[in-house]
Amino acid sequence: MANPAKESNTPPKKRWGFVMEPERCIDCEACMVACSVENQVPLGEHRNWISHKEMGIFPDLNITFMPENCHHCSNPPCERVCPTGATYRRDDGIVLVDYDKCIGCKYCMMACPYDARYVNEEKQAVDKCTFCVHRLDAGLPPACVETCVGGARHFGDLNDPYSEVSKLLATHDYYQLYEEAGTGPAIYYIRGK
Amino acid sequence: MHEVDFHWNILIVIYLFTAGISAGAFVISGLATYLGGAKYKRISRIGALIAPWPLVFGLSMLMFDLTKPLQFWWLFLTVQWTSPMSIGSWLLTFFSILSSLYFLLWIPRPWRDLLRVPYRWADVFSPRRWQPMTREVVGISRRVLAAVGFPIGLGVGMYTGILLGAIPSRPLWNTPMIAQLFLFSAMSSGVATVLLIAAATPPAKEGHDHMHHERHFLVTVDAVLIVLEIFIVIPFFLHQALNTWSSAESVNLVLGGPFTLPFWGGVILLGLLLPLAIEGFELYPVVWKEAAVKYSRLWGGASAVMVLVGGFLLRYVFVYAGQVSHFLPLLER
Repeated sequence: MANPAKESNTPPKKRWGFVMEPERCIDCEACMVACSVENQVPLGEHRNWISHKEMGIFPDLNITFMPENCHHCSNPPCERVCPTGATYRRDDGIVLVDYDKCIGCKYCMMACPYDARYVNEEKQAVDKCTFCVHRLDAGLPPACVETCVGGARHFGDLNDPYSEVSKLLATHDYYQLYEEAGTGPAIYYIRGK
Repeated sequence: MHEVDFHWNILIVIYLFTAGISAGAFVISGLATYLGGAKYKRISRIGALIAPWPLVFGLSMLMFDLTKPLQFWWLFLTVQWTSPMSIGSWLLTFFSILSSLYFLLWIPRPWRDLLRVPYRWADVFSPRRWQPMTREVVGISRRVLAAVGFPIGLGVGMYTGILLGAIPSRPLWNTPMIAQLFLFSAMSSGVATVLLIAAATPPAKEGHDHMHHERHFLVTVDAVLIVLEIFIVIPFFLHQALNTWSSAESVNLVLGGPFTLPFWGGVILLGLLLPLAIEGFELYPVVWKEAAVKYSRLWGGASAVMVLVGGFLLRYVFVYAGQVSHFLPLLER
């Protein structure tokens, strides 16, 4: 694969994203705790969660734990419907809320197919996963990735072919959630064996 | 069932309902002004006098739904072309201004004369020389405002549906038909409010004949709107049931789910079929016997109340059930 960085002087645009390995997730919820502590998420709300996907017919039953958070869509429905422009998308693909501009109409919460948003009563605004943007800007991975005991959460630049996430996607079969809705999510799930 | 917090609650239902009444009252008032002139004067007046108020009430409800109620004006620092709510806020602003001006023009005579306007450019800055409006000026202004406000009133009625319909992730809402359903229901609610007030207030002095004309006009418009609504509801269910799995599942909320009774009992039976039957009974002599419309204050008032209850429940069912509906993950990948 050609590295665009070698062909031009400008570095390629970053596209931060997750690659999840549901087979490695043990539903310990350490990522949820780490996130809540790191981002001071009010009690009762969560920026990330683990969905349970039950499959099969008795006796061949199977349960898959899928770590999830805001998918930081490339075509975010929440950004489109925001009446004040409080929700915006950074150049590196991170979708953020400008808490000062948010008036709390909750239209974005209606529009998000992943139910990734919640009302932060302390900030009096709608809030969600930021990919720990304050840590990223300091060169650190998101708190949930750092704490994941099973190594189910992988984080990196999807546009960099040498990143861990790109290598995983190049060598594994994967799927995304509701990508058929045209949201362009930045979370990929490695398909189980 | 999917666990749901209802982030949009009864305040939103009230707002969608009252905005619809305002839009409907304004549109029927404008329509009466153009179609009937003096014959429907009382309808025009009632519609114009009530139009601004339900909306003011609804907008205050909407404000309290925000997490930052006092920052509502931030909506007006920007125009977000892809957000129905942003477009709707501006539409409601224009509508509020127009319907307030229209209201002033329809205030009955002795009080209207308190309102003074400058007749010459030179008088604009000296309010003492302003004069009450003449009959001609009032007549022309009413017609101009009715014409300008007509499309904006229709827009407000339609916007209440588009607000919900423009969200792909809520399958119950995400159909173009919801805009039409809410528009016709809004118009019908506005007409019903005018009907109710017309039945509750003393008739105009001109006599019994006018009452029949008014009644004929309002009942005909309302019956047409109800029939239109019925022909939206039928294809709505057929389409949703034959659509993707998520859409098909979403209509189960009202076809044997938690919202079945309020929808079929409240919206369809009480809000559409019963009022249509009453209005059919009232219109029957006109259509088949070339006689005057049957008129009874009691039945007229009852059908209007039913239409209003049905209109409210329509918004209730859609706002709440829509939040329960969501994309369904594939069972097997």
